Amino acid sequence: MRVVVAEDLFLLRDGLVRLLQAHGHDVVAAVDTGPAALSALIGEQPDVAIVDVRLPPTFSDEGLQAALAARREVPGLPVLILSQHVEQLYARELLADGQGGIGYQLKDRVLDAGQFLDAVERVAAGGTALDPQVVSKLLGRLSRADPLAVLTERERSVLALMAEGLSNTAIASRLYLSEGAISKYTTTIFAKLALAPGEDTNRRVRAVLAYLDAGHDSP
Amino acid sequence: MKDVTSRATRRQPERARDRHWRGREIAQGICRSAVLTGLLGVIPAVGLAVGFFGSQDTLSWSSKLTAPLAVRGLAAFGEEALALWWVVVAVVATFVLLGRPLSQAARRLAQRWTGVQIEAGYRPVPPLTRLATGFWWNGYAYLKSEGEARRQASLYSRTSDPQARRDALWLLVASVTVLPVAALSLAGLTGGICVAIMPGLLGWGLIMIAAGLVLSPAGWRVFGYIAPRFLGPDPRSRLDQRVDELESIRADLTQTQATELERIERGLHDGAQARLVALGLSMGTAEELIDKNPAAAKEVLATARASATVALDELRSLVRGINPPVLAERGVVDAIRALALDAPVDVTVTSSVPARPERPIEAALYFTVAELITNAAKHARASQVTVHLGYDSDTLTAIVTDDGIGGATNARGSGLSGIERRMAALGGRLDMESPSGGPTLITVTVPCVLS
Repeated sequence: MRVVVAEDLFLLRDGLVRLLQAHGHDVVAAVDTGPAALSALIGEQPDVAIVDVRLPPTFSDEGLQAALAARREVPGLPVLILSQHVEQLYARELLADGQGGIGYQLKDRVLDAGQFLDAVERVAAGGTALDPQVVSKLLGRLSRADPLAVLTERERSVLALMAEGLSNTAIASRLYLSEGAISKYTTTIFAKLALAPGEDTNRRVRAVLAYLDAGHDSP
Repeated sequence: MKDVTSRATRRQPERARDRHWRGREIAQGICRSAVLTGLLGVIPAVGLAVGFFGSQDTLSWSSKLTAPLAVRGLAAFGEEALALWWVVVAVVATFVLLGRPLSQAARRLAQRWTGVQIEAGYRPVPPLTRLATGFWWNGYAYLKSEGEARRQASLYSRTSDPQARRDALWLLVASVTVLPVAALSLAGLTGGICVAIMPGLLGWGLIMIAAGLVLSPAGWRVFGYIAPRFLGPDPRSRLDQRVDELESIRADLTQTQATELERIERGLHDGAQARLVALGLSMGTAEELIDKNPAAAKEVLATARASATVALDELRSLVRGINPPVLAERGVVDAIRALALDAPVDVTVTSSVPARPERPIEAALYFTVAELITNAAKHARASQVTVHLGYDSDTLTAIVTDDGIGGATNARGSGLSGIERRMAALGGRLDMESPSGGPTLITVTVPCVLS
């Protein structure tokens, strides 16, 4: 895969490049500022980009803005956003265009190389890879809303993993259940949430998030 | 045609109301002029009376004197000077006794008649303290008797208070401006009545009465111009007050800052620092184990990694409390939006703030709104909160409303009084409406410049 890395901390950038190269990926650009990230994203149009939210020169949310701008130019350009903190607000902005190919993870996740690379590949394939912390915030907020109250504990954990972007197979292995059981759970969840069932992982997540989003009317 | 008649009939009651109103204004003017004459006339009347009777009395001492003209002139001069001295003593004594009540009454009248609230900056009488020696200290002197110390303190505060000196100036200015004008219309009326009942002068009397009536609505109005200029607090006492305010704000700030630093230090010491020590130990253990028992070393390293993740989590929550990341990255409006998304209640955020405010103001407003939302959820048990952020004429405003049970208080020691003090430190303020039973509406305003 052709990968663009935008990260201003030299050690982390270097580590990411090494990790990706060690797993046979081709890092076509490794940049450290917001404007450079934007031009690399649009110029290279990589299979996946890994972008830090906070980048020079302003150290505001330049990386996020660059990613959003690039995706306006190149719809569906797969981007994995890394940050020291995860916010529902940013997650909603990233998912708003409904194009998929979005990842939003804590930088800590890089510590687990296997899961991190898995997330990178999921995003590159047009899926989503949301950090469990964002998902728990998204679901935590909705726990008091009526629809989710009808879900059982087990169904809620399946929904959370679905929102992270995992496939039924991955969810099954995470929860130590059979794939058949998981697909039964997903069917029940879709029925309870009145969602039309779908095959595509990405579509499932988007549908769930869209449903969660409709639960309230702030920004 | 029809139109004209309808307009004419419509005008009729208006005119009647006009006349009625004019009559009320005249009556009101007479009453107010009388009140002002009474209020301001006290001290001049005392002075005049003492002067008149005093000079009568003193002049009578030398009236039977048979001496050269020069000696008699000198004696008369001395007697007049003595009478004048009595006048001064009488006026000062009256002022010491009545100066403050008279000025306070004038302030109340100004508020009632013109709606202008005039603050008075009287210094409080310092409390009496008993010293180990048995003497009493009243803030000015040491005295043996408690009653004497109390009397002296009250006398001293009446005479040496800057506001009392200003009251004296007010009474002086008012008795040469407000008093004559107010008295003029009354003099016209009473004088006119007296003249009119004299034979042959009825015409003159009526003219005087008419002049008095015409003057009366305007007679008291000078008071409206003079009062706010001379009855207000002494500039010096206003400065004193401001210094007191700023001192207490500074003390608060120092205290808050110290507490914050302590909290951060504790967070680092018990959290990340301890975890890093543990991490170092685990690494050392792994290093030793790696050759002898690679499997065990792997296990130790896995624990170390988990420990690093926990340390990062702790640092993250600490950073959130110091400078929330969204606030740093996006500014106060989006930071409050992010806050709203994570809040345990439904929070709707609207904003008309066109740009980012100054950083310290931004942070203060963010933490204030965060506290208000927490209050609404926790104390008011609200289910719906709205936050509106606005910016107008160099003032940033946050209006937080909730549908909770109300009854919020900004009494001393409450969370709201803390917010109030923090806002005061930035020149801002907090206004609230929170009837028992709700809803609660809290408005926070703070002056600031947008970047």
